[in-house]
Amino acid sequence: MLIAALLAACGSDSSTSVVATSNARGTLMHDPPPRLASLTAAALTGELQSSTSGQQLLELAGTPACGVDFYYITYWTVGAAADPATATGALMVPTGAGAQCSGKRPIVLYAHGTTFDKNYNIADIANPANTEGALVAAMFAAQGFIVVAPNYAGYDASSLQYHPFLNADQQSKDMIDALAAGRTALPHTFGATASDSGELFITGYSEGGHVAMATHRALQALGQPVTAAAPMSGPYALEALVDAVFYGNVLIGSTAFSPMLVNSYQFSYGNVYKAPSQLYEPTFATTAVALLPSTTPLLTLFANNQLPESALFSNTPPATGNAALNQLLAVPSNPIFAAGFGPDNLITNDYRLEYVLDAVASPDGAIAGLPGAPVAANPQFPFRQDLKKNDLRNWIPHAPVLLCGGDKDPIVLYPVSTGAMAEYWGQFPLPPGLITIVDVNAPVTSASDPFAPLKTAFQQTFQQMVAQEGQVAAIESYHSTVAPFCTAAARAFFSQLL
Amino acid sequence: MQAKNVVTALGALYLCASPLAQAQTAPGLDNQVRIGMYYVHYFPKADDISGPFVPPGLNVGIQDVETLYLAYVRSLSPNWNLELAIGWPPLTRTEGKGPQYVGSVPYNGQVLSTARWFAPTLLLNYVFLDESNRLRPYVGLGVNYTRFYSRQSTAAGDAVSGGPTHLSLPSSVGPAATVGLAYHVSSRWSFYASYSVSQVHSKLTADTAGLIRTTDVEFWPTALVVSAAYAF
Repeated sequence: MLIAALLAACGSDSSTSVVATSNARGTLMHDPPPRLASLTAAALTGELQSSTSGQQLLELAGTPACGVDFYYITYWTVGAAADPATATGALMVPTGAGAQCSGKRPIVLYAHGTTFDKNYNIADIANPANTEGALVAAMFAAQGFIVVAPNYAGYDASSLQYHPFLNADQQSKDMIDALAAGRTALPHTFGATASDSGELFITGYSEGGHVAMATHRALQALGQPVTAAAPMSGPYALEALVDAVFYGNVLIGSTAFSPMLVNSYQFSYGNVYKAPSQLYEPTFATTAVALLPSTTPLLTLFANNQLPESALFSNTPPATGNAALNQLLAVPSNPIFAAGFGPDNLITNDYRLEYVLDAVASPDGAIAGLPGAPVAANPQFPFRQDLKKNDLRNWIPHAPVLLCGGDKDPIVLYPVSTGAMAEYWGQFPLPPGLITIVDVNAPVTSASDPFAPLKTAFQQTFQQMVAQEGQVAAIESYHSTVAPFCTAAARAFFSQLL
Repeated sequence: MQAKNVVTALGALYLCASPLAQAQTAPGLDNQVRIGMYYVHYFPKADDISGPFVPPGLNVGIQDVETLYLAYVRSLSPNWNLELAIGWPPLTRTEGKGPQYVGSVPYNGQVLSTARWFAPTLLLNYVFLDESNRLRPYVGLGVNYTRFYSRQSTAAGDAVSGGPTHLSLPSSVGPAATVGLAYHVSSRWSFYASYSVSQVHSKLTADTAGLIRTTDVEFWPTALVVSAAYAF
């Protein structure tokens, strides 16, 4: 009786967010999603000022006008075979009393660059290694843009056991699903003072540049509005870029990028190889398969000899009996590219030769210098067919596009990426202003060049790096050096459309 | 504030008891009920909170509570009795211990959660001296059972955790001990003052949209009790 009386005062326990029962694409799994961090504008400024890189970012991005709340979204998307899969990402919401921090705000859908860390989570702003998250927060969210940024299927807590790297169809679906989940979550965030204005900007860097463009293309095909897009330093002309690599222009990081791409396409299409030993040298035929992304640091994988550090191809190229072909396969004189050749290499001579023979038989227009830089007409080698399938030289945007990059990029070669895409679009009579190309390393075109300050700032930064670290080290970090300058260019481009 | 309340209560006990101090415990009155106040202070020992996206150094404390004390005592012999004590389930408040802010969210000193404790304690007491004495000290050992219910994450707790949060705090069974002093006013009426401690251990688990954060907590509640008793 007493116990009954005592417990009669029971209230119910507090409950957590609602868990979705549907696995339909774009479904937010936890509504509302958890907030991982909340920083006022002053706190964000303080965080950035506490490091040299943060101070440099503040100079480019400007003092935060808004605070930022970082939410961790989990949503349903699909794998490469349209199989249901979960993925995670970030929803960054501007906070504060300022007019640009509340009310109806534009959304930036952001695609991050390649990471080999399977645990990568762009929403975890407290992680010092999450520099791209800090860049996006400072550049966009702290200036009043709502940001949705997926971690991609295959990363973090995703249920997918591989990452569909540079799979245009899957990754654009992943982005669209993250956007849907972010829009679902937005009204249920703390305070919910910022809401969706309906304006949608898409951007991303490196791998994310490709993903951003593929997403723009997909949304346009679906008839969904896109305000503008700014893909940055992405391998849009994917076939041309990989052809260039197989011709000997081995990119920095190729011994990691290649297994990522092979792993993705082998899971997606099952045709990159019949057996791993067809592609990989015996030393790596078992270790490189399905290795990346990994929870083990890349340097440890190198140290454990699970991947070679730089030698993608043999420094004894295949002898074909054809002098012209031998010349194509020779170790290049450029020391950056030559570093991709060595005795303990990753990819077999036979595989490289088969690839190059197909590239010669059905050349990529950007490599062959054909007008309009078209993709290969009729590639027969399965891996090249996969690359053509994911090459983005097959559409014309309706909404304004800014392509930004740096012409000395040793990871995503500018001429066969941004340059090839610009040439492809350049053959069409497009409205003035639809396509804007920015090479941050190019000279300032005129006094009215809107990107003149960014170009000047980048070039000064690069020259300082050359002076301090030497030419080789500065080139090795060129790709990441370009990122904040192009992101600032993207924000300026978006802002003029608001 | 709490100390002042205790002194006031003991003073009241003295004032009430002195003019009536004429009789001792009467044989044959083997049952007794007590009513009084618990003044509970906690000496919590908790691991730092662990789990995803938790910065280091976050810990928790418990605010003191006062609540109604109720007990039934069965005399087993002139010197032994069995006490079933229970407090009206108090609303306990867990507060943050650690940095002032987590990001820009206030933490230290914020009431993060509340829960009610249903915490009966069964004690076997040994009462010194014989029944003719008005003042009889006693000691006891026993077992405490604590069930936590109505567990609520507060708005401040939700802000720190990152959203609506479900709390789990499993029941605890642990030893308890007490020392006390009885003052027999008459054959039926007595006053008691005691000091008790019990071991209450649980694992606090917070679920915020699937993010599970935990900490093991030893609460170590100590209770000063003043009560009036009626034998029958």
